[in-house]
Amino acid sequence: WILAWMGLEINTMAIIPLMAQQHHPRATEATTKYFLTQATAAAMILFASTMNAWTMGDWNINQISHPLATTTVTLALALKIGLAPMHFWLPEVLQGLNLTTGLVLSTWQKLAPFALILQISQNTNPALLTTLGVMSALVGGWGGLNQTQLRKLLAYSSIAHLGWMIIILQFMPALTLLNLTIYITMTSTMFLSLKIMTSTKINSLALAWPKTPTLTTLIMLSLLSLGGLPPLTGFMPKWLILQELAKQDLPITATIMAMSALLSLFFYLR
Amino acid sequence: MALTSARLLTRTVHEKWICAHSLTLRPLVCINKAAFYGEYRRPGQAQDRTPPWKKIRFSFAKGVQGIRKHFGLLKDEAMERWVGPQGRPLIEHMLEQTRVQWEFRGPESLEQWLVSTDREIGGRSEAYLKLGRNDSACMLYGTLCSTPPRDGETCYSGYCTLRSRQLLSSFDRKKNIDWSSFNTLYIRLRGDGRPWMINIAAETYFSHQKDDLYNYFLYTRGGPYWQDVKIPFSKFFLSSRGRIQDNQHPLWLDKVSTIGFTLGDKADGPFQLEIDFIAVCNDRAHTEEFAYEMYKRNPEV
Repeated sequence: WILAWMGLEINTMAIIPLMAQQHHPRATEATTKYFLTQATAAAMILFASTMNAWTMGDWNINQISHPLATTTVTLALALKIGLAPMHFWLPEVLQGLNLTTGLVLSTWQKLAPFALILQISQNTNPALLTTLGVMSALVGGWGGLNQTQLRKLLAYSSIAHLGWMIIILQFMPALTLLNLTIYITMTSTMFLSLKIMTSTKINSLALAWPKTPTLTTLIMLSLLSLGGLPPLTGFMPKWLILQELAKQDLPITATIMAMSALLSLFFYLR
Repeated sequence: MALTSARLLTRTVHEKWICAHSLTLRPLVCINKAAFYGEYRRPGQAQDRTPPWKKIRFSFAKGVQGIRKHFGLLKDEAMERWVGPQGRPLIEHMLEQTRVQWEFRGPESLEQWLVSTDREIGGRSEAYLKLGRNDSACMLYGTLCSTPPRDGETCYSGYCTLRSRQLLSSFDRKKNIDWSSFNTLYIRLRGDGRPWMINIAAETYFSHQKDDLYNYFLYTRGGPYWQDVKIPFSKFFLSSRGRIQDNQHPLWLDKVSTIGFTLGDKADGPFQLEIDFIAVCNDRAHTEEFAYEMYKRNPEV
């Protein structure tokens, strides 16, 4: 756990100068907020792992078994990646960054916490994971409505997708990994397309059709894929997750997740 | 004699040593609580040391009224989410190229504005705000007096300012204005030839940014004709506590708090400014992002 914590800290420290390079107060604000949240989460991880080592005598990542330690480390990793209800920092931080740094934050920075989440998946509290997943999907859908800033919109999209990943973690971690991979691919496409068009608002996308029809079509397809519309790739993980939830006798949870996906699809289609 | 001289010399050296060290033994940092915590102290007067619990004016009726008002606002915010951004359909947001943010068409429009002068620090300027003829514009008028107040601290005086109130949503949370679809400020006004300064305040995060404003000049023409002023937001420069900053950056328009007009041209006498409306527009021909160079301090040579 100590080495994992060190890795997470190095990961945070490395991205901080990249975030602050813009020399604008909003970028500095985003960097500060990011640093504070990540440092808090890292401290919680260290505390939980130390508590587990003290009580159970084990430092192995996948041997964390003390209930309080498991809950604390799950919440800390949820704070790291921006799961609801610890999601409030993500839209503001992404809004203060440029598109390239936002891309790194949305994709690369999720890998390390997810590696830990996958390793502790067998010992986590199922009710906590379900709660985090459902809340994230709902908050991601509700918060993304009426967003006119594209970076905030992608932040809420990220929160919703993370909810989908977390909810299936306890039943089939492989699906979480699949969903993460597809999410990273789709989000990278979106960010890179927006970077080429240098657009950060919905208005500029509306005017893009006559200028770059191909890229606009690509963005539209990426958004529909993020929304989980068949036959695009983004439909596959959602379908498999809903199927698995139904197999696990959780129809209500599956229904709520499907409804929240509709909310997300609504603002993607706009 | 020699012994007395030696004693004198020793005393002198000793006194000098005490004097020198007493200079260094003073606190190296004078902690000014006002600077850290932003407590305003009126120049020439002692700081207000009233404890917070003595400032409470409890009223049950006002409390109930406040709860009803704030929950009503919260319900409206939840309902308008289903309509679109800021309660308007998205198509309206996508297609709009102009937006009138403030217009003066009735007494309630004046309540959104604050007028202040150097009278608050002991000066003698006066300023008043009223509706113009036919309730179609607001008139800011008064008298400027640059005589500084005799409080032993203030050296300069003579200003007046008209500033919009901070917009508040439910439970007195700050609400910011999103002007990111626009790039130009459009004001219709009628002045008296005096130079004003337009100040735009954006949402800040750090405490050292609380006095940050983005300024630009407003030169009014006297005369019976209305003046249409269009100022691109790229022209606004950053200042803090009235001082222009070396590190300049453009104004980000997604979180604008307030707009204000300040007069401080050191010319004593009456002044008058009528404002019809304050709007923002999107000038497609204006592609400049920022008008000023962003100097790098201590550049490598």
